[in-house]
Amino acid sequence: MTLTEDPCDAVLVSPMLVRLVAERATGALLRDTGTLYLVDGQVVHAESPAAPGLEVLLTASGRVRPEGWRRAVDQAGGRGTVGRFLVESGQVARGELELCHLGALHDAAFFALAPGKGPTRFRYGAMHWIGPVRPVTAHALAREASRRRELLDRIWPHPEVDTAPVVPVPDRPGLPVTVRQRALLAAVDGVRTPGAIARLLGRPAFHTMVDVRRLAAVGAVETPLAAAPVETVPDWVARACAEAAQPSDEALLRRLRDALEAMP
Amino acid sequence: MTSTGPRAARPRNTTHSTHRKGSANPMGNTETALKDAMTSIEGTIGVALVDYSSGMALGTLGGGKDLDLSVAAAGNTDVVRAKVRTMELLGLKDEIEDILITLGGQYHLIRLLKSRGHTGLFLYLALDKSRANLAMARHQLRRVEDMLEV
Repeated sequence: MTLTEDPCDAVLVSPMLVRLVAERATGALLRDTGTLYLVDGQVVHAESPAAPGLEVLLTASGRVRPEGWRRAVDQAGGRGTVGRFLVESGQVARGELELCHLGALHDAAFFALAPGKGPTRFRYGAMHWIGPVRPVTAHALAREASRRRELLDRIWPHPEVDTAPVVPVPDRPGLPVTVRQRALLAAVDGVRTPGAIARLLGRPAFHTMVDVRRLAAVGAVETPLAAAPVETVPDWVARACAEAAQPSDEALLRRLRDALEAMP
Repeated sequence: MTSTGPRAARPRNTTHSTHRKGSANPMGNTETALKDAMTSIEGTIGVALVDYSSGMALGTLGGGKDLDLSVAAAGNTDVVRAKVRTMELLGLKDEIEDILITLGGQYHLIRLLKSRGHTGLFLYLALDKSRANLAMARHQLRRVEDMLEV
């Protein structure tokens, strides 16, 4: 795979990442939305404030005890071999760690690679203490992140539900809600966002966003109103709406019709 | 539903290689297990390990231009979800072990993994119908699940 010909370069966040992959760089790519750790140009770990870390995923499910995790970090963190320590001390099977780590990596990378502005820096030589588990190419990661964005939009094209507190719609029996989604709804308290619920349940943030969008799509969860698209409404429509603050729908419609007909 | 299959299952293919799990293995468990499925299950066209909630293929092997395993992985999560939902609607307190889809020339086999956490993974196997032994394949797929250590 030659880098210059790969169409996936387009989905990489920045020319910087393309260059880092090409030069097989080792270090940490820092963005406001998250951090990617590279070794020889491959992504070995990712973290994001929006995604529960590997620690949360492993301990919340009961696979690893919190004290076992702390011991691993204490004893192997300095050498950067926490992953290996967890396996060799028999706390987690290698396959479990690999899959859980891969899940956490893609989850954090989804946010870290989110389109948007903001500074991107690279710290050469920076390594993560989890150590080698299973590297992923930056292209595979970026491809998956963009597939995930498309999936969310296909389910329910309202990104507002991703970050707002989850509010269930009451008294709607018979809705198709799965066991997993019921556990999610049980964690709702009117304040918790999908991200907070993910952390509480020890699930990846993206998976929780998928569930919340599905729930919103079937009407089991409220979809908050999007911020008013101010720019897209012409002045005369805004004026007509403002003038018709109280009157009946019919009067409003008539005014709108008149305004439309008066258009040049 | 479980098919017991022949117990003394021996791969007919002499090029079959035995892979061992363990931390010394540089390939990683997922790759090793998928490679084992590919070589030991007769008639395998492609195999994928899929995360059910996100539709992401955590690993794929085989496939090709006639069978894009990443697309198949994402699409088959809908198959699994539909079946899970139907079971819930019916109030069936049972678990899906596997789902078989029979095409004219292929078998597609989906095996839901029993993981300790709530991640929800399944193995997806595409088989050439003319070369595959379905009972054997299901039996072998269970062994692949053990290799994954999930």
